[in-house]
Amino acid sequence: MNCPMEARHGSELLLDYTAGRLEAGEAMALEAHLESCARCRQFAQSQKAVWQALEAWEAEPVSMDFDRRLFARIEQAPVSWWERLTGQAMHHAVPVAAAAGVMILAGLMLEHPAATPVAPPRESAQVETLGPEQVQSALDDMQMLRDFNHLVRADSAEPRM
Amino acid sequence: MTLDYDAELMLRVKDGDGASFGVLLEKHRTAVVHFLYRMVQNHAVAEELAQEVFLRVYRSRESYEASARFTTWLFRIATHLALNALRDGKNEKFQERLDSESPDMPARQVSDARPTVEQRMVYQVRLDEVRRAVATLPEKQRAAVLMHKYQEMEYSQIAKVLSCSESAVKSLLFRAYETLRARLAHMA
Repeated sequence: MNCPMEARHGSELLLDYTAGRLEAGEAMALEAHLESCARCRQFAQSQKAVWQALEAWEAEPVSMDFDRRLFARIEQAPVSWWERLTGQAMHHAVPVAAAAGVMILAGLMLEHPAATPVAPPRESAQVETLGPEQVQSALDDMQMLRDFNHLVRADSAEPRM
Repeated sequence: MTLDYDAELMLRVKDGDGASFGVLLEKHRTAVVHFLYRMVQNHAVAEELAQEVFLRVYRSRESYEASARFTTWLFRIATHLALNALRDGKNEKFQERLDSESPDMPARQVSDARPTVEQRMVYQVRLDEVRRAVATLPEKQRAAVLMHKYQEMEYSQIAKVLSCSESAVKSLLFRAYETLRARLAHMA
């Protein structure tokens, strides 16, 4: 076997070896090489030490109420970002429409005082106020999805080896 | 194209099946929280970010396309949020001292079920050293190492998550591990 350290992607082979991702045959060939190559042996030993040190880093368990908090947030904001975006556009339109509706209603009531009162437009009670951060977050989501889909399409367009 | 099981679940979520979202959450919750924790090194911030990840997954369900592995998409969102949080210095507002336990969090896991005081101290010193070494890595190198080591992702998947080429990922990993070897190799 040629010395991996002298090959273009040699370090990749050594990284894969310490990560345990080499096929058995490749690993055996590399191990035979390590016995005679001090440079590769040194690399592999220090990389194994890093691997073991990282393995010792155990993360804390997830909080017991993680799901409850998440579902509470989902309940609080059941609308999609698209609905929120369109809602933002409606945010300015609805008060104007509501004011116009009130004016028309008042006019009708003055003209026909005995008529049954008409209920105000229901939409006015459903308007969601959006902050700039929510709109930015929605725009981020849209951009990220666009980027992601574009990337995946570009990948799938490449011929398979 | 063959769909992975997670992508099938996500398509069911898209069709209004809330239970499938629960299955995805159960399956990936720990991996996402731990990845974010190792990225920002603050448990509270990591959980907050993980909540945002799953919230975004749920909110994006109607526009979801099963054009790649679900975990690629999931970790792309997680990495995006982690990098933003690091750039905003969000974790510094709640910075955990490396030598302290958070009072409201469970104790960190140690390998030995009944470690002595001395063993605990040695473990803590080693843990702090590892955390500091990882924290010194540039953000993208850090993300690449964490996905490579703890999520056991292939180079191609890491490349998709980070929106770069496979050779760029190999370069990121090579430089990151070079830094880590310089700082941690003595721990063997």
